[in-house]
Amino acid sequence: MNAGLILIPILLPVAAGACLPLFHFKERKARERYVTAAVLATSLALLFLILNRPEGVITLLPLTEDLSIAFRMDGLSCVFLGLVGFLWPLASCYAFEYIKHEGMDDKFFSFYTMTYGVTVGIAASANLITMYLCYELLTLVTLPLVMHAMNNRAVAAGRKYLAYSIGGAALAFAGIMILYVYGDKSLTFVYGGFVNPAVNGGERDILLAGYLLTFFGFGVKAAVFPFHGWLPSAGVAPTPVTALLHAVAVVKAGVFAIMRSTFYCFGTGLLAGTWAQEAAMIFAMATILFGSAMAWRDLHIKRRLAYSTVSNLSYIVFGVTLMTPAGFTGALCHMIFHGLMKITLFFCAGAVMYKTHREYVTELDGFGAGMPVTFAAFTIASLALTGVPLLPGFISKWSLATAAASTGEPLAFAGVLVLLASAVLTAAYLFTVVVRAYFPGVSFDRAKIADVRDPNWYMCVPLGILCGTMVFLGLCSPLLTNLLAQVAGGLV
Amino acid sequence: MRGNILLPVLVFWPIAGALIGYGIGRKRKAARDYFAAFVGVTELLLAAFTLYQVAAGEEMSFFLPYFCDQGLYLKLDGFRALHGAVAALVWVTTTVFSREYLQNCRNRNRYYLFTLLTCGATMGVFLSVDLFTTFIFFEIMSFTSYVLVIHDETPEAMRAGETYVAVAVIGGMVMLMGLFLLRQMTGTLNMEELLSACEAVTDKGRLYLAGALILFGFGAKAGMYPLHVWLPRTYPAAPAPASAILSAILSKAGVFGVLVVSCDIFLHDSLWGSVMLAIGVITMFLGAVIAVFAMDLKRTLAGSSMSQIGFILVGVGMQGLLGHHNSLAVWGTLLHMVNHSLIKLVLFLAAGVVYMNLHRLDLNGIRGFGRNKPLLKVIFLTGYLGVIGMPLWNGYISKTLLHESIVEYIEILAEAGLSIGVFKAVEWIFLFSGGLTAAYMTKLFVAVFCEKNPCHAEETEASDKSYMNRSSALALGIPALLIPLIGVLPQVFMVGMAKLGQGFVHGEAPAHAIAFFSWTNLKGALISLAIGAAVYFGFIRTCLMKTDENGNRVYVDRWPGWLDLEYLVYRPLVQKALPALGGFLGVICDRIAEPVGAALLFLGAFASRLAGVLTDGLHAVLMGTLLRKRGIPETNPGDFEPGSMINRVRMSRTGQRITGSFSFGLLLFGVGFCIAMFYLIFVLLGR
Repeated sequence: MNAGLILIPILLPVAAGACLPLFHFKERKARERYVTAAVLATSLALLFLILNRPEGVITLLPLTEDLSIAFRMDGLSCVFLGLVGFLWPLASCYAFEYIKHEGMDDKFFSFYTMTYGVTVGIAASANLITMYLCYELLTLVTLPLVMHAMNNRAVAAGRKYLAYSIGGAALAFAGIMILYVYGDKSLTFVYGGFVNPAVNGGERDILLAGYLLTFFGFGVKAAVFPFHGWLPSAGVAPTPVTALLHAVAVVKAGVFAIMRSTFYCFGTGLLAGTWAQEAAMIFAMATILFGSAMAWRDLHIKRRLAYSTVSNLSYIVFGVTLMTPAGFTGALCHMIFHGLMKITLFFCAGAVMYKTHREYVTELDGFGAGMPVTFAAFTIASLALTGVPLLPGFISKWSLATAAASTGEPLAFAGVLVLLASAVLTAAYLFTVVVRAYFPGVSFDRAKIADVRDPNWYMCVPLGILCGTMVFLGLCSPLLTNLLAQVAGGLV
Repeated sequence: MRGNILLPVLVFWPIAGALIGYGIGRKRKAARDYFAAFVGVTELLLAAFTLYQVAAGEEMSFFLPYFCDQGLYLKLDGFRALHGAVAALVWVTTTVFSREYLQNCRNRNRYYLFTLLTCGATMGVFLSVDLFTTFIFFEIMSFTSYVLVIHDETPEAMRAGETYVAVAVIGGMVMLMGLFLLRQMTGTLNMEELLSACEAVTDKGRLYLAGALILFGFGAKAGMYPLHVWLPRTYPAAPAPASAILSAILSKAGVFGVLVVSCDIFLHDSLWGSVMLAIGVITMFLGAVIAVFAMDLKRTLAGSSMSQIGFILVGVGMQGLLGHHNSLAVWGTLLHMVNHSLIKLVLFLAAGVVYMNLHRLDLNGIRGFGRNKPLLKVIFLTGYLGVIGMPLWNGYISKTLLHESIVEYIEILAEAGLSIGVFKAVEWIFLFSGGLTAAYMTKLFVAVFCEKNPCHAEETEASDKSYMNRSSALALGIPALLIPLIGVLPQVFMVGMAKLGQGFVHGEAPAHAIAFFSWTNLKGALISLAIGAAVYFGFIRTCLMKTDENGNRVYVDRWPGWLDLEYLVYRPLVQKALPALGGFLGVICDRIAEPVGAALLFLGAFASRLAGVLTDGLHAVLMGTLLRKRGIPETNPGDFEPGSMINRVRMSRTGQRITGSFSFGLLLFGVGFCIAMFYLIFVLLGR
């Protein structure tokens, strides 16, 4: 199979998105058809590629003797691509309806579709430099989406996003340079890392410092404390953006980059048991607790979910920093499951805002009766995110915690404690919404929710599909987790 | 998937029935009620059938791989089958009773959905043979039962539900932590392998930690001190059938877990046993005290539930202390679980009959309700006599066994020449708690069924037949009949049940048959009853009653309101201290992160500005020296000069007249052309 096929899902959405404004769509339907065609074609191409994975590398552009822009698909790419390819069509369907409320459709869908290609590019990068370029591109291409409303808040959020992301990328770049000097000149990803794990003395410390630089640099997109500030502010973006980009594509790109740098560049042989690992782990644990606590304090529904994302991303990062295949499996598991759960929650929040213009969790009393589909989905996703058994969140947290416990290190045990404490907080900040929505109390005035209705099928169908997937994966997770374990073990 | 298919059916049939019933209920309410009862009855028949098979010596197990990652392990031995059957009985009766109790309630569809879901989950807990499976069903049970607790959606119910779910979530998470620790040490969570795996563990300290964490989770559901706070609030707030389920079965699911920890991890461990005994004694006594002071029918029963769980925990503790000679404690524990389930089922449903008619539960308000209702009186009486341990009723048997186990331990200690003071005290607290049981139950019985209501006797004592319908009477009557039946024939029923269950806790039958009605055994019960009479007449009738302005004796609530662990300690801790601390840290972190980002931005801006200034300066210096181009002096803004004029002046001053001209351009082109030509010539000639 020709590796050149990988370019299709990268270039197709970029081209489709870039050309979208040229068509000057008069009718909404026509634009919807165009976007659907582009997105579905990309997703189908991805599905095809995942099922028939091309071997080998496609070099798009040699930069220097060693460096090149090159793409390749390995197991980890497939995991991220599968997640993105599954969620993008659903989010697009949702966005068609939601964007009626925001306007400027052409601009929105143009960048929205281009982002797809760039995200695929990140996932399919064969070396660090390609990934870095795509990563920077992702910042630029999503910036107009964050600033979509172009009011003061949106512009401020956009500037914050830009400052954090570019700054983070600069940190990461410093780390990449260290890798270039002390590691392999081509920076091609190899499972287990391309740095000699036996280096000693000053070189070792420089490498470890370089790891921390990449960790925090890419950690900006993964919202690792103290670089999480942009994520809650970016909630001013239209909900499909928050849902897909700030719960899945962008933030997961950050996590993905951390996975790449940990397992495929520096290598666990070098990192495991060092101060760099401990520092990274401590920051991940702090972020978990911090994000959950802040989510509990925040009453704005989207900001609450954004802080929850901050917390949950660090679950994944924590799994990575355990530096064991089991931890990596747990991290991958949570990467996929959190994507599903959080996009559902954001879709529900967006549906509420779209239909009722209410934004605070205290205003949602009794909504369970008014919006049965939305709140059923919200409830399932909340239970899942908290980690109630039979739903996917439990599986990923279970595997993360067992992985942590099996390392036997005191810090990892503290991590298990943190995971559980955070689960209690998660229950606190999500169940309050669910309980208020379903059990408003006997003295509740039903007239208050007389105008509350479920949105139309554009929004409900994605919610239904997501919930179905969640329940299915929760019950039959070994189908997926065995695959992920192979990926994490470097077997695929 | 392998094993007996009946086991998953036992677990998943109520869950499927719940969903089907919900669908039916959206169309036809009556059909839904019948369907729910049908599900309950089939479940009971199935449970009875499996119990029969197990009693005949068969063991069933079931394994479903891939279920929720770790697989589903179910098993049916004597203990599990017995409790499965009791659970099914509880569900049938409560479901049948709910039909009348809830007939004017809203959200009945929701109630039936969640009650059947809870039923399935509880079955799952009782049948599980792997702690992972137990945990899954235990969590589901906690969440589904929450909806039952808050069914009325009154402020009290919501508040009680809040506490309930908070304890459940925290308990679940703590338990999970324990399970992680345990699994890391032993490599298994399977109850059948745990015992040998735990013996191999050398680091006993960590094993105790793991056990304590798991105990926390299960004990919270059982109502163990100091995690009982939710219990006295939740039972009264829930609808009566739900209270019956909570008290009769869900608390037993907690005890199930406590037994697993005590008998599969710490079998015959005296340290663990003494801790359990201490917890049990406190729970037993505290619950009884709460019940004595309570002036509300269901709160009294709630305190009583807690107290009886304490009795069971005392039994668990004695099992650990007695080691290999623990058969009396084993039997007592197992039998008291079953007995308490039956008794509380009857008592809570009877309380439900009261509430259904009067819509209140305070003793002054419901006084005399049962005076002209002989059927209800008899039903309540069986539960009453059962729980106080009256000879010939079932509670007597199990309490006697528990008491005898303490006595036996005291004898062992005395033989070994050790101090027996502590255990004498335990024995007396045990007997005194039994006495309190008699006192508070007498208080209820006298208030509801004997005394006249001084204020509105006609309404409360109305003796029309319609206070409960026939199916409800049947639902109450059958379990009420069982209580004296199994108490009168202990050698048949009690011994049979105990022998069925003892394998679960690795116990054995006593060396010789027990004479349940011998004088020594009767003596303990009689001491308790005497204490009870003394407390009733000496304390309840004097201190807890007063004469009101009309000259009537009324009950008064003398429980100090501030004395509440939840409001005194837990809520301030969870709601104020921890969030204040977390929020404080969070805000600090946020405050730090923002300036750091701002400072970085500023630094970047400053650096680039500096670089810009330097470049501009360099450019200016170059222009002024080497390149000899001077800046144009700005014209005063006030002066008016036409644009062409400015251009002309500027061009003449700076020499742009030349550099901007066409001929200059041609000249430069020519120079460039020449250079290119020379280059080409040199390159070509050079070859």
